[in-house]
Amino acid sequence: MLFQLSEQIVNGLVTGSVYAIVAVGMTMIFGVLRAINFAHGEYYMLGTFGAWVAIEYFDLPYPLSVAIGVIATALIAMVVGQLVMRRMVGMPAEAGVLATLGLALILQNTVILVFGGGYKFFNGGYIEPVTVFGISLAEQRLLIIVICALVFVGLELMVTHSRIGKAMRAVSQNIECCAVVGIEVRKVVVATFVLGAALAALSGVLTAPVNVSVYGGMGELITFKTLPIIIMGGLGNVRGTFFAAMILGIAESLVATYVGLQFRDTVGFATLMLVLMWRPHGLFSAQARY
Amino acid sequence: MSLQETSLPAPGRDLRLPFGLALAALAASAPLLLGSYALHAVIISLIFLLPAHGLNLLVGYTGLLSLAQAAFFGVGAYVSALMAVHWGTPFYLNLPAAGLVAGALALPLAIPALRLRATSFVMCTLGFVIIGQAIAKNWISVTRGDMGLSAIPKPHFAIGPASFTVNGTTEFYYLALAVAALATAIVWMIVTSPAGRNMVAIRENETLAESVGIPTWHYKLLVFMVSAAFAGVGGSVYAHYLTVVSPLTFQMSYSTLMLIIVLGGGPGTISGVILGSLLFVGLSEALRIAPELRMIAYGFCLLALVFWFPKGFTPLIERFWTAIGGRS
Amino acid sequence: MTGLPILDIAGLSKSYGAVKAVNGVDLQVHRGEICGLIGPNGSGKSTFFDCSSGLTRPNSGTVKLDGQEITGWSLNRIAREGRMLRSFQKTVTFGALNVEENLVIAGQMFTFPSIAATFGIGARSRARIDGLRERARELIRISGLWEVRNQPAGNLSGGQQKLIQFASMLMPEPKLILLDEPMAGINPKLIERVVDSVRYANDQLGVSFLIIEHNIDVIISLCRRVVVLDQGRKLAEGTPSEIVDNQAVREAYLGG
Repeated sequence: MLFQLSEQIVNGLVTGSVYAIVAVGMTMIFGVLRAINFAHGEYYMLGTFGAWVAIEYFDLPYPLSVAIGVIATALIAMVVGQLVMRRMVGMPAEAGVLATLGLALILQNTVILVFGGGYKFFNGGYIEPVTVFGISLAEQRLLIIVICALVFVGLELMVTHSRIGKAMRAVSQNIECCAVVGIEVRKVVVATFVLGAALAALSGVLTAPVNVSVYGGMGELITFKTLPIIIMGGLGNVRGTFFAAMILGIAESLVATYVGLQFRDTVGFATLMLVLMWRPHGLFSAQARY
Repeated sequence: MSLQETSLPAPGRDLRLPFGLALAALAASAPLLLGSYALHAVIISLIFLLPAHGLNLLVGYTGLLSLAQAAFFGVGAYVSALMAVHWGTPFYLNLPAAGLVAGALALPLAIPALRLRATSFVMCTLGFVIIGQAIAKNWISVTRGDMGLSAIPKPHFAIGPASFTVNGTTEFYYLALAVAALATAIVWMIVTSPAGRNMVAIRENETLAESVGIPTWHYKLLVFMVSAAFAGVGGSVYAHYLTVVSPLTFQMSYSTLMLIIVLGGGPGTISGVILGSLLFVGLSEALRIAPELRMIAYGFCLLALVFWFPKGFTPLIERFWTAIGGRS
Repeated sequence: MTGLPILDIAGLSKSYGAVKAVNGVDLQVHRGEICGLIGPNGSGKSTFFDCSSGLTRPNSGTVKLDGQEITGWSLNRIAREGRMLRSFQKTVTFGALNVEENLVIAGQMFTFPSIAATFGIGARSRARIDGLRERARELIRISGLWEVRNQPAGNLSGGQQKLIQFASMLMPEPKLILLDEPMAGINPKLIERVVDSVRYANDQLGVSFLIIEHNIDVIISLCRRVVVLDQGRKLAEGTPSEIVDNQAVREAYLGG
């Protein structure tokens, strides 16, 4: 019983790590743009497809296809960032919702159009089991947790030490002041967007060996999972997002085991609505940005 | 119908009456002019016009962006289907019941949701769709889960000994047209009334609206409910037309589509929304475009609407209208 | 100036965190009076207005309008049931609507009295709307906005929008109007017109006023009584000349 519980919690941490890597990008984009990116899950999907193409068509090894998936997504994000996201600076929140909904439709359906709508088998990754503290789990799952930790440490270092990181933090705190002190807001927005999209892609390619199946509509589900996380985490708050993702991951894993698998995908939104009714601004303060 | 009145009436003939009559004649004779597939496309667009009218009251007139419309559309469809299948109630009872249930359900959902600010409100309304779909999928004893409900009877009217079943496409077209016309009349009545004026005031400046004595909270609540009722009625017609409902009636993409109809047609105008549903639903259905291509086109439409046509595509049509000598 | 004051505020306080924006202020506006409210920036005038008009809820204190306690009422209820209206510092109109519609909306003032009235059905509610339109046109003419009456309010100049806002507040036959810096940011030529409008409303329509204004000439010409706020407290009260000569007031302005 207790063993099963701890196994479920570890599984939850893996899922939470997947969500955290996606959600952190989304919350940082919200920070600089004050807009929710409804297309964020699509970059997760694009990354996965990039890696799948590299493996399936070019027979490349998994680590290389991870890099290809992430880089391809980052390039697409750069184009989208230049054409669309940078125009959104200073527009009302509703405009952001609509524009990113439009992007989600375009990205998702273009992939379905090109590769077909069916499920594809993802043949790669490290699926040998390892045993850690008496709990056995696939190497890939351990890898996800480790990379999630690295990503968050890396982001923390970036926003405190690098120029661009400091600029991101500045823009998310006060966009008007940045324009005055000569920070190019639009460049920072595009950079943050590309970083966020690349992280989503990374999360996608890391998860693909665990989920095994790849399909064009997979991004939408991820978007719906991360939306509650970033709101509960306090929009724009990186640490809050990390904890909210872990909480949701564990909650989903427990609900799937003890309540029923079919209820797993509703946990996020159900919790979100309860939380919003109780605390309209999320569990973690939106003030304490990265 | 346009909100922005210009300073001086533009010179030109008043083409409204002849144009309206021509339109009515066209609508009445559509079954003669169109093939059965094109007529089906028009029926679908008339059905989607109902939730779009409701959404227009919310987005176009009151200024609240909502993604919940598909949830209430689904509720309406399921209420109708369940009543028809389990109790055998007729269409003319299911239709108002669907509207009433959807409208009533909107109240407890709107009270917490309307307390949220812009983005969180949108998110919360999206949550309604997702949770609605989950209920439709998992409350198997009632909804039969993913199998959905089938064999919903076609609308049947019985007055005394005389009875009539709406079976063919042509007959259903006139039924859908009648419902859509009635809904349009109701919307027109609302938006031209003192209440409609107050809704626009809320959209323009909520605090100022408060300060001139408009109880904005109650207004927003009521408009949200009315808008849900419209979606519910739409769902009911949809269920009786297709004779099947499934959890896919609760689809995020339906909400997006309804938004595109309203924003593309011209938020805050009635004619724009009618045009929008014919254009974005009817035309794409009639042309049998592959669903993916249609979605991609919708995506580009959304981007174009946000960045280049914030008032929808109607200004283009108005320009054409003045070019042929009409007066808006 | 007999009987109950039209507005009677006692011990009004409001804090934001540790900052006491308004700290136990008493203030009365007498029937038919134009009362001025001045003070250096950050003295709590705006917070005081927001608390008395129902925009924000005060922490403590009572607000009585015409003898009726209205503390804690919402902004819209005070406007509708109390007929006390307020303006905002930033020029605000319903931008997409034309001038006449702006005034008609301000005159409607009902919740949902009946389905007929809400949707404008029936001869009586149509007559009511027609009456409002007539009144709106009259006020538009008086305010000198006749030429632009069919233009969207948002297209007009800041000064014209102030005039629209002022005319809107006269639509529902108010008892009392709170004006928040009516002269801020408008063309000096229009100042005289706004002053005239206030006088007209006071003399002809019997409206009482409480006015926040930085332009001291306007205050001197309009008000017979002035209240001074400083750091959330009432510093002085008296005729304009008493206030101008008051040592503490001078220090507050210079030291502030």
